[in-house]
Amino acid sequence: MKKEEFLRLLKEALEFQDIDLQTATDLRKIEAYDSMAVMAVIAFVDENFSKRLTAKQLAAISTVGDLMELIGMENFSG
Amino acid sequence: MKIACYLPEIIFTNSDFEREFPDWNASKIEEKVGIRQRHLSAKGETALDMAFQASERVLDGEDKGTVDFILLCTQSPDYFLPTSACILQEKLGLSNKTGALDYNLGCSGFIYGLALAKGLLAAGIATRILLIMSETYSKHLHPADRANRSIFGDGAAAILLDINDLPHIGSFELGTDGSGKNNLIVEAGAMRKPCVSESVAIANEDGTFHSPNHLYMNGPEIFNFTIESVPGLVSSVLQKNNLSLEEIDYVIFHQANKYMLEYLRKKIRIPAEKYYNNMLMTGNTVSATIPIAMVESLEQGKIKPGSKLLLVGFGVGYSWGAVVITW
Repeated sequence: MKKEEFLRLLKEALEFQDIDLQTATDLRKIEAYDSMAVMAVIAFVDENFSKRLTAKQLAAISTVGDLMELIGMENFSG
Repeated sequence: MKIACYLPEIIFTNSDFEREFPDWNASKIEEKVGIRQRHLSAKGETALDMAFQASERVLDGEDKGTVDFILLCTQSPDYFLPTSACILQEKLGLSNKTGALDYNLGCSGFIYGLALAKGLLAAGIATRILLIMSETYSKHLHPADRANRSIFGDGAAAILLDINDLPHIGSFELGTDGSGKNNLIVEAGAMRKPCVSESVAIANEDGTFHSPNHLYMNGPEIFNFTIESVPGLVSSVLQKNNLSLEEIDYVIFHQANKYMLEYLRKKIRIPAEKYYNNMLMTGNTVSATIPIAMVESLEQGKIKPGSKLLLVGFGVGYSWGAVVITW
């Protein structure tokens, strides 16, 4: 998946319409990144990458880039 | 099979949350988890009281003398002992020849209740069973735990089953994975860990709050458990009943939250028109969600005589179960 496409789809999945989501964006600093948002990330990764991320793994990351590393950088281009 | 529900009188709306937590955008609750309001048991009103109300409704017009077994599912009993179902026998004025027991399950409780009832009927141990789901999770929640308070509601449902229902209850698929115990738990207050004297709220990583005396739920991990277990559970139970999804008229899952249910629906490819996803006015009432949904579906004409229903429960334990019944 292209990085831009990933950022667009993630933003849509999280319903972060007003947030400029970049790889350096710190998810922990976003107020709307709550337990429902974590659930949305799990669903998003399951749906698009057929990969199951645990709550523990997601609790340990901060940025969108960290999330991409969890998914595996081999899944991204551009 | 006859079903009746009881929802306690107090209603707590999303606007009430906005008043209690002014810095919290509670208007998002309905959009995200699909809940506008939930019923709450009053102070001093217990799951046993609600079980009594639901039972009286289902027994209205029935000969109480014909009931010979009570199965009561609750995780909020009145006492460690005696058993709530025993107290209920006396309150309802049922015969002393009635067998009665409680069983402790959450969101899978209704499926297990049907499985137990089928076994008791098939073995000739009972001929008419009063099966009750009654839950007051609100009493397990810390006042500061707005996230879980927004999801859970209190409620009860009573189902009357007899020997004539036996051919209508199909094959079950049940399962358990106790390794998930810490992801949905009320840790203190029983034998393993006594109640802590001061129940100061602990902030969890995801912004929820609990104390050892109160319910803790790792929502994302519970979500992982459901996406891992429910699709396989659905295909196994259909296989056991020699049915395809197309042959099922209506599907009712445990009503956990709208988001989770919609994700599962898409993943399993269940058509939206034959899938119940509505907890708008009641919230997640734990073991009572499926029978409450059945009552509403009956009223809306979505369940008709002869309808094949796929019922699926999953949650705390972890524990899960599914069955196909013919209405």
